[in-house]
Amino acid sequence: MTTPTKGKTETVRRLILATLPEATGDNPPIFGAGAPLDSLGLVNFLADLEYRLTEELGREIVLASDRAMSQGRSPFRDVASLTDYIVELLAE
Amino acid sequence: MKTPRVIFITGTSRGLGLGLAEHFLAQGDIVAGCSRAPATLTHERYSHCSLDVSDEPAVVAAVRAAVRQHGHIDALINNAGIATMNHALLSTAAAAQQIFATNFHGTFLFCREVAKTMVRRKSGRIVNFATVATPLRLEGESLYAASKAAVESFTQVLARELGPAGVTVNAVGPTPVPTDLVKNVPRAKMDALLARQAIQRFGTISDVINVVEFFLAPQSEFITGQVIYLGGVSG
Repeated sequence: MTTPTKGKTETVRRLILATLPEATGDNPPIFGAGAPLDSLGLVNFLADLEYRLTEELGREIVLASDRAMSQGRSPFRDVASLTDYIVELLAE
Repeated sequence: MKTPRVIFITGTSRGLGLGLAEHFLAQGDIVAGCSRAPATLTHERYSHCSLDVSDEPAVVAAVRAAVRQHGHIDALINNAGIATMNHALLSTAAAAQQIFATNFHGTFLFCREVAKTMVRRKSGRIVNFATVATPLRLEGESLYAASKAAVESFTQVLARELGPAGVTVNAVGPTPVPTDLVKNVPRAKMDALLARQAIQRFGTISDVINVVEFFLAPQSEFITGQVIYLGGVSG
């Protein structure tokens, strides 16, 4: 049986992968050394992802929050980190 | 027949914002507006949100609602603003916070949220509101001029950040226009201000509309990061 949290995690991961160009492997990198996106690419990606999250989950969240920017390890570095971060935001 | 543009205008309950909204509706465009006060305009192509432009969740919700309703936003006009007229040494910290919250933070939040939708479409126009009080260094308007100087800098940097995404960002700097914003300014003070303009008269809503339409024109796609002051005031 799928728990509500697990179901939400899977949905978020699916939306991230659908938004991220050229995603390969279990935990594709997003932004940073060796990752596919440059700064403008990250802006486009986050804008697209916010839109998809609003459409699919009906939640209006802002991904570039103070919390994201102040974390020692960026939640935008890879798909797993971003999934965890968004699930946390959705739980608030 | 031209395709209606979808235009988001802040501060549409009165003054310049109301005049801009009426102008674009008369052109056949679709206007989404907002103000702290309830709507003062009723039109089949006009929708309104009552909000404080410095309230982040409210701005996010208003922009996304407009995109849901119309599919996209062609242009953002950041008109909402407040002014205070006081000597810097007589100004309160609360006044400084309030004026920066509305004039700068409000402009920033709307630019950020609307630009997200524009970069997805690789197209869009943003027009912010500056003022001649900034280049004229008007005594008694230090907080207002400083908040608008922040808007100018933000406009110029944002233009560079959004240029590669096909979005232009410019600002219009009106002279005093006889609206509620300047109604409490003493006449002698206003005359002294007008005397510093190359063309010494009050501005009109049409003067402002002219510059905004210039920035929105399809032929202006190569114009960004510019601040145009009215009345012959130089930056």
